[in-house]
Amino acid sequence: MFNRDLWAEIFHSIKSNKLRTFLTGFSVAWGIFILVLLLASVDGMKNGFTKQFNDDATNSIFIYPGTTTKPYGGFEAGRRIQFDNDDIDFIRRSFEGYYEYITPRFTKSVTASFGSETGTYSVRSVNPDHQKIERTVIDKGRYINDADIRNTLKVVVIGKVVADELFKDVDPVGQNIILNKLSYRVIGVFSDDGNEREERNMYAPVSTIQRLYGNTRNIDQIALTYNPEFNFAEAINFSDNLEVVLKRRLIIDPEDQGALYFNNYAEQFSNVSNFTTMLSVISIGIGMLILIAGIVGIGNILVFIIKERTKEIGVRKALGAKPMDVIQLVLFESVFITSISGFVGMLFAMGLVALISPIVDAPAFSNPSVDGITVVTCTIVLVIAGVFAGLIPAIKAANVKPIVALRAD
Amino acid sequence: MIEIKDLHKSYHMGSNSLHVLKGINFSVKEGELVAIMGSSGSGKSTFLNILGMLDNLDEGEYLLDGVAIKNLNETKAANYRNKFLGFIFQSFNLINYKSAWENVALPLYYQGVNRKIRKETAIKHLESVGLGPWVNHLPSELSGGQKQRVAIARALAADPKVMLADEPTGALDSKTSHEVMDLIQKINDEGKTILVVTHEDDIAHMCKRIVHLKDGVIVQDTVVDQVRVTPYVQ
Repeated sequence: MFNRDLWAEIFHSIKSNKLRTFLTGFSVAWGIFILVLLLASVDGMKNGFTKQFNDDATNSIFIYPGTTTKPYGGFEAGRRIQFDNDDIDFIRRSFEGYYEYITPRFTKSVTASFGSETGTYSVRSVNPDHQKIERTVIDKGRYINDADIRNTLKVVVIGKVVADELFKDVDPVGQNIILNKLSYRVIGVFSDDGNEREERNMYAPVSTIQRLYGNTRNIDQIALTYNPEFNFAEAINFSDNLEVVLKRRLIIDPEDQGALYFNNYAEQFSNVSNFTTMLSVISIGIGMLILIAGIVGIGNILVFIIKERTKEIGVRKALGAKPMDVIQLVLFESVFITSISGFVGMLFAMGLVALISPIVDAPAFSNPSVDGITVVTCTIVLVIAGVFAGLIPAIKAANVKPIVALRAD
Repeated sequence: MIEIKDLHKSYHMGSNSLHVLKGINFSVKEGELVAIMGSSGSGKSTFLNILGMLDNLDEGEYLLDGVAIKNLNETKAANYRNKFLGFIFQSFNLINYKSAWENVALPLYYQGVNRKIRKETAIKHLESVGLGPWVNHLPSELSGGQKQRVAIARALAADPKVMLADEPTGALDSKTSHEVMDLIQKINDEGKTILVVTHEDDIAHMCKRIVHLKDGVIVQDTVVDQVRVTPYVQ
């Protein structure tokens, strides 16, 4: 089947019909080119989304208090919900092993000054776990630690933007910074992959801020990460459980949708995953449709070629070519042209992607690439495509009647 | 060699049917050189197609070298054609992108002969028709007479029982026609059975027997004194 003579025949016919071989191949190369580009684009979007989420731990859950919308347990509707330190301790106690990190978090706007420089920034009151949840990267110094919390020290970790704006060339670590007329010591500088706005923040120990401003135990938000070994269902289950328990604790109607807001990244992440998977499916679909156009093109051109070669095929049959010989000749030629041109299209697309990939790094689009699975899939698709494209023309060729073909013109 | 009894063939086009061959009885012995003559529409082409297994017969019997030729499927017909028959066409029908020797070797390719032997055999046959120096030429580089000689070499390549020539000189001038007929006579001298379809009297008389077809029947079948071709001396 794979003998040298058959290939010699195929090369002969390709060599003697260079233009039509090129035209035939081009449609397939184009189809594969677009298919690979589409897949690479989806890959780029996927990477982009993932990167956006990487700013925060992907297993985070944020809980925000709201206002009750239903009367419950003797309280009227419209009551503001307020968390305090005990709620955090309660979650710690009740969900041992379910959560990984937990921190209170509330944000306060402050006027900060160092020397003659002044600016308005946000201070987030947190405990040390927050670093893991927000994935804060410390450039200099250190983050808040347990001792800071215990001793209610007046220390802050400042963002890179704050450091640049207030301290200019001075190393901020160890300097004193004035926040709303109170002096804090800078213990570290952080940066954030996610965005620059994040770097306009400062972090201070939650206990310090609670004591200095109003001497309360109140907190605004609770941020936590669930056990990273949880799968999606377990994560959702945990967050649902947490909601039920917190509502019971804070005396909220279990049906009340407004009193507590849960922002579970697992859910969002799964939405995004579904979204990108959907995009992959759509782009494969579109790519295939374009490829089908290419296949039909090849089939079309091959039919014409068969017509053009009717006489030759008639001669071959008169000389003893069996129907299988003729089918083989056409089919192999089709598969050969499809595969070669498909690979050319694929190489071009991969080259383009490799060229563009380092340049493009937008928030929702980064590092588009083509993986091995795509290459293997494309190869299989191409061979099958070649067979399909050649099948009808091949059968047509096999049915050529030598007498019709040989009729002297 | 060829034994035909009461052969009928009709063509159907829609509701019309055309009775082309109306009971032909015909036999050819080994080593004969037969001319088949007839005006157009006499059925001679259809007759040749049936002899060449390019078309099926409707009724009657066709024995070729003792083998009954009837209701063959495509693959079997291809095998028989390859083994029993060598074709020579009016328009040569060489494959234009193959060199002379590759054209000659084509019947052997379909027999599954390996390439080296194919080439040797093809060159031997080309030399026997006087085309030794042209083995690597493409058909487009050859004259009409040379092309027909390549076609004759191709018909000989598979060593067939019978050679069928359909107007072999139809596209050639009289000088090259005579050269081709000279070649056919020489091949016949070596014992090959040859059938030549022609409408030219002088070509027919270079054969040993003339069969006239008219309106689908044989009206005349005579053995003639063969006119030997004396090749023109250059």
